[in-house]
Amino acid sequence: MSVHPDIRRGIRDVIPVLVPVVPFALVLGLAIAEAPFSNLVGWLGSSLIFGGSAQLTVVTLSAEGAGLAAIIAAGLVVQTRHFMYSAAFAPVFSDQPKWFRWLGPYLLIDQAFALTSLRIDDSPASFRRYYLTVGLSFWVVWQATVALGLIVGPVVPEEWSLDFAVPLLFVGLLIAAIDSRPSLVAAVVAGAITWVTLGIPNRLGIIVGALAGVAGGVIASRR
Amino acid sequence: MTLTVLALVATVVVGIGTYFMRSSFIHVFADREFSPVVRQALRYVAPSVMAALVVSLGVGGSAEVGIPEVSALVVGGVVGWRARSLPSVLVAGMVTLWVLRALI
Repeated sequence: MSVHPDIRRGIRDVIPVLVPVVPFALVLGLAIAEAPFSNLVGWLGSSLIFGGSAQLTVVTLSAEGAGLAAIIAAGLVVQTRHFMYSAAFAPVFSDQPKWFRWLGPYLLIDQAFALTSLRIDDSPASFRRYYLTVGLSFWVVWQATVALGLIVGPVVPEEWSLDFAVPLLFVGLLIAAIDSRPSLVAAVVAGAITWVTLGIPNRLGIIVGALAGVAGGVIASRR
Repeated sequence: MTLTVLALVATVVVGIGTYFMRSSFIHVFADREFSPVVRQALRYVAPSVMAALVVSLGVGGSAEVGIPEVSALVVGGVVGWRARSLPSVLVAGMVTLWVLRALI
């Protein structure tokens, strides 16, 4: 049995993208294992949300005693970039069958968008095979690796302080998001306003700070 | 509400919200486009919310923060800034933490 060239190409392209995600998924699994709530609920987020930053945000804020409104708001704000992916793919998906128009968006993660947006000129069938190969292989590896982190995390000796990898991961995500001067302004404003509003209960200061940061970024980009 | 129920509710709502965002323009707002201001604002969401999370979890968190921890975060951040890769942040930060804790 031979593998379809679109599938083969999808697997070849997804592997280099998957490798850097492995430590992220392991740390996320570890954060779930450390959190004082059901591991199963934490792990379910990998499939219910299927987005690492948002899942890490929900897990960490829940464990740190944030209020429900703040957790949900922060988790959703983290995800807003997906509106952009959706808008970019709307014309591409209009040529696709109905089942794919429903399943496809579920798999529309950052990495899938980055890889498949290079294939939008392929035939609809070819695009679909490539997209599903990338999205589904990512999905399977993601679920398994988060579970692995959940199992391995607690076994690792306490002295290794692996739980410190969680704040490091947030710093890494912050650094990755700063790619221009206005985005640096956004980060500084958001950090400062969050600091000032630490006294607001249930960690709602995160939302106040994030909104101020977005405003700061927009203003900075107009100068 | 127990912590497990809280986490479950948050996960389900964020999951539904995420699917809605990913499918929004494919299903609901097909044929519509973003105004330039919204498009611009979306670009600054990631740096803003990540900075807010780092401050809120770092300063207002339950963990004890000393010299090794702060140094590890700074080294991880600087290395990540140069290398532009997430695994390098983790490796640099953890190694810094281990070395400093062993020395201090």
